[in-house]
Amino acid sequence: MPPCLGYHARVHDSGPVEPPFDPVWLRGVAAAVAEAETRVSPRLEDVYLERRLDVRVSARNGAAVAEECRSDGLAARWTVGTRLVLLARTGTSAEALNEVLAPYARGMTLPDRRPLPAAELDAPREWRRWAEKLAADISGAALDLRLIQRRAVVIRDGSWSVAETPPLVRARRLGKAASALLAVHDHPSLGIWLREMLAPPPARTWAPESRSRLPVLFAGGTAGALLHELVGHLAESDLTARGLSPFAALAGAEIASHGVTIVDDPRRRDLPGGFTADDEGVEARPIHLLSDGVLSGWLCDRRGGRLLGHAPGRGRRATWDHPPVARMSNLVMAPGTTRPQDIERDLQNGLVVSRLSGATVDPTSGRVVIRIERGWEIRHGRRRRELGQFHLTGSALNLLADIDPAVGDDPQPEWRLGWCVKNGLPIATGSEAPTMLVRQLEVL
Amino acid sequence: MSTTDEPRHLERLRRATVAARDLLAPSRGSRWEIFTKASSTHQLARSEGSPPSEILTEETGVAVRTYSDGRLGFAAASGIDRPAARRAVESALAGARPFPSDPLPPERLLGLAEVPPPPPATPRGWASHATGELRDALRARSAARLAVLRLELQEGSYSWILATGEGFVGAHTGSSCSILVEVGDRDGDGGVWQEWLWLPDPERFAAEEAADNVVDRALLRGPTAEPRSGIHDVLLHNEISAHLLAALAPLFIATPGRADPLASLVDRQGRLAAPVLTLVDDRCGLAGPLVAPCDGEGLPARTLTLLEEGVPRHRAACYMDAVLCDDTPRGGAVRLSYREAPASGLANLTVATDTALPPARLLAESDRLLYLVRPVGPVEVTAELDSFRLVASALAVERGRVAAWHPVVELRGSLGSFLRRIEALGTDRRWYQTACGYVGAPSMLVRRQPLGTGVRGG
Repeated sequence: MPPCLGYHARVHDSGPVEPPFDPVWLRGVAAAVAEAETRVSPRLEDVYLERRLDVRVSARNGAAVAEECRSDGLAARWTVGTRLVLLARTGTSAEALNEVLAPYARGMTLPDRRPLPAAELDAPREWRRWAEKLAADISGAALDLRLIQRRAVVIRDGSWSVAETPPLVRARRLGKAASALLAVHDHPSLGIWLREMLAPPPARTWAPESRSRLPVLFAGGTAGALLHELVGHLAESDLTARGLSPFAALAGAEIASHGVTIVDDPRRRDLPGGFTADDEGVEARPIHLLSDGVLSGWLCDRRGGRLLGHAPGRGRRATWDHPPVARMSNLVMAPGTTRPQDIERDLQNGLVVSRLSGATVDPTSGRVVIRIERGWEIRHGRRRRELGQFHLTGSALNLLADIDPAVGDDPQPEWRLGWCVKNGLPIATGSEAPTMLVRQLEVL
Repeated sequence: MSTTDEPRHLERLRRATVAARDLLAPSRGSRWEIFTKASSTHQLARSEGSPPSEILTEETGVAVRTYSDGRLGFAAASGIDRPAARRAVESALAGARPFPSDPLPPERLLGLAEVPPPPPATPRGWASHATGELRDALRARSAARLAVLRLELQEGSYSWILATGEGFVGAHTGSSCSILVEVGDRDGDGGVWQEWLWLPDPERFAAEEAADNVVDRALLRGPTAEPRSGIHDVLLHNEISAHLLAALAPLFIATPGRADPLASLVDRQGRLAAPVLTLVDDRCGLAGPLVAPCDGEGLPARTLTLLEEGVPRHRAACYMDAVLCDDTPRGGAVRLSYREAPASGLANLTVATDTALPPARLLAESDRLLYLVRPVGPVEVTAELDSFRLVASALAVERGRVAAWHPVVELRGSLGSFLRRIEALGTDRRWYQTACGYVGAPSMLVRRQPLGTGVRGG
C-alpha cells in the first residue's frame, strides 16, 4: 500500500491486552482443534468466544434506574461440503464448546481440564455514579445511557488471539428532538458532545427549495457519516465481490480529487470502531480506501479477501451468534491545509451542514439520500437562516468527484454516527473528518 | 429447537427458575419476578455468488427484577443453569437503586389468556426445499428478469417462564418463520428490492404466491415522469401503510412525565383519523406474529383498542407507566429479550378491516390516483408540529391503467389532516417487520391529498 500524504495515524496504545478466558485452556483447545482445521470437509474455520457486559441507566419516575446484563456465548464455523455452517450457543464453558464442535468433530479430544474462571467484566464505579447523576439531573429530557463492554477470543490456525474493543458509551435522548451518541467511554470530549446532543433544536428553521442544486459544506466531523455510507460500505468486499458496488470495476481509478485520502483505521482506539484484532483473528491495521482520490483498497473479511486477492482484516461479528462479515472500523478522512472559515467565506450561495441524521446509498443504483438535521444557509460567505430537516440527493460517484480538493485542516470525530446497521446487524463504527465541500448536491 | 426439544428446554427453564427463587426467597418483604427464556433458531441463506450458509443458534438467559426496601433492581445473565441464576440475582440485588414506587404489578392483576398453539415444527430439510422452490418460482414468474440476490429463511422456536414471588407462574412455547427476499433488476436500473415474508403456518407456504408478491412490485415500471403538483387521490400499498402506522406507534405508547403527543393532533371533536381507521394491539395471537398468554409482566393478554373509529382510546403501558399516567393497567408491557426489563410497548399493531374493500375496488374508486407502491425512506412524523413526511415510488393510475412511473413522490404536511382523509381500507392486510415492531396493515385510500413543491418553512 503506498504511503499517503496527509494521513498520520494516531495510534492509541491501551497497554497489554488481557485475555478474557483462561489462556492455558485456550492453548489446549487451539491444539485440539488444529487437526480439524486442515481437513477438506468438514473443516473447522474458527472458534469464537465472547463475553459482554451491558449496563443501562435511565430516568424513570424521577429516579435513576440501572439495568445490567452479563452474557457470553461461542460459535464454531465449519465448511461442510459447499455449505458454511455456524453453530452457536450461549455460554463459554467446556460443555458449550463441545456442543458446537461435536456435530462435525470426528474424534476430536478437547482438554480434560476445565477453564479457570476469568475476571468478570465490570463497569467502572465512577461511570455508574456519573450516569446515575446525569440521568437524574436531566430526567426531563428522557435520557438513556449505556456502557457496553465486549471481550472476545478467536481460535484459529492452532493458536488464539484476543479481539479487544474499547468500552463504549451510548447515550440516547428519547421523545421530542430524539438524538443519539456513541463514543469511547473515557473520551475527553464526551461531556461536550453530550451537551451538543441535548441542545434544543432551533425554533425557526428554513429548508431550500426542492430540486435546487447547491454547493454544500459539511462542517468538521459531519462528513464522516456521509463518507461512511459513500465510501466505507461501497468498499466492503461482500458487495464488491458480487459486483453490486459501483466501485466494483473501479479499482485503481481516480474517483475523487487529489487531496481526498480516506483510511479505515481500527488502531484508532479513541473512536468507537477500534479493535486489536478483527473477529477472524487478523491483527488490526489501517486500510487505505482512497489515496489522493484513487480507489486503492477494499474492506475484506477472510472470504472476501480470497475472492478479491486482498488482505483480510475487517471480518466483524455483531454478536457471537452471527458469522463475521466485511464491515468498517473507523473511517478517517485525512485533513487538508485549508482553514474551514476560509472555505465558508468563499461560498456565495450554498449550505453549511452541521448535523446529519443519516444517509443511505442504494449500492446498485449508486443513489445517495442524505438526511440533514441542522445547519445554515450561506449567502456571500455569511451564515443566514438556520436549516431544518430536509434531504439531499445525488449519485455516489458524482458526489465523490464533486468533493473540492481544498479540504479543511480541522479533523473531528463524528459522535452522531452511532451503530452501523447492515442486514439488520448493528456494529460499533467510528469516523473522523475535516470540513469538506461538495460542489453540488440536489435538494430532494 | 424442534417440538421434541420443548420438554427438555422447559425442564431446564424450570430448574433455573427454582434456583433463582431459592436465592430470592429468604429476602422477606421483597417483591420479585424471574423470567427465563430459551430459544433456538435456524437460518438458511442462499446468496448469488456465495455458497449456501446455515446458522444454528441456541440462546438461553435468565432475568430478575426485585423491589425491596424502596430499591429497584434488574439484571440479566446468559445461561439457564444455577450459576446464571445466581449471577442475575446477585447483580439485581447489588445494583438496586432507590425508587419511589413499586413497579411490579400486584398479584391480583396477573393471569393467563388462552392463545392458539404454535404451528408444528417443520421437518428436517424443509428450509432448503422451501428456499429452492421460492428461488425457482421467482425466476419463472419474473421470466428471469430478476436476479435472486439473497434468500434468507429463518425459523425458530422459544419457551419462557415468568414467575413471581407471590406464586404466579406463566409459561409459553411459540415459534416463528419468515423469509427475506432480495432481488435485483437484471436491466440494472431498478436497484435492489427487498421483501420480508412472514409465514404464520410454514406447512401452507405457497412459493408461487410468495413469488408473485415479490415480482409484482420489484418489476414495476412505466414511462418515468415527474409527478404533477396539486390535489391527488392517493392509494397506499399495504407496506407503505405499515410504515406509516409504525411511525404512529409511539403516539400509542404511554410516556409518563411527558406531554401527550396526541393532544396536538386531534381535531375539535377529539378525532385523530377518519372513522374508517380502528387500530388495535392484538396480543391474543389470532392474527399477529407475537403470541403470548400474558404480557411481559404477567397481565393476561388481550386486544387493546388504541384508536376506535378514528378516536384515540387507550395507550399501551406497563404497570408502572399505567399507574404514573393514572390509567388502568391493561397489560401493555413487552420484553424485547431476556436482557431487557419489561417496558411499555406494542406487540402486534394492526388495523381492523371489517369494512374493507378488495384492493381492485380501491383502485377503481378514483379516475386518477397516485398508487404509492415502494417506500423510499422511513416515514417521518413530528407529532408536536402536526407534520409528516412520506417518500415513496408511485404509479400514476388513470382509469385503471398505468399512466406514468414516479421514482420519487413526497407527501408532507399536516399529519392529522392526512389521517382524517383516509376514506377506505383494503382487504389485503399483511404483516411487516418495522422499526416499531410487527405491524399488520392493509392498503389505504386517501382522498384529496395535496402534493406540493416549493419552499418549505419551519
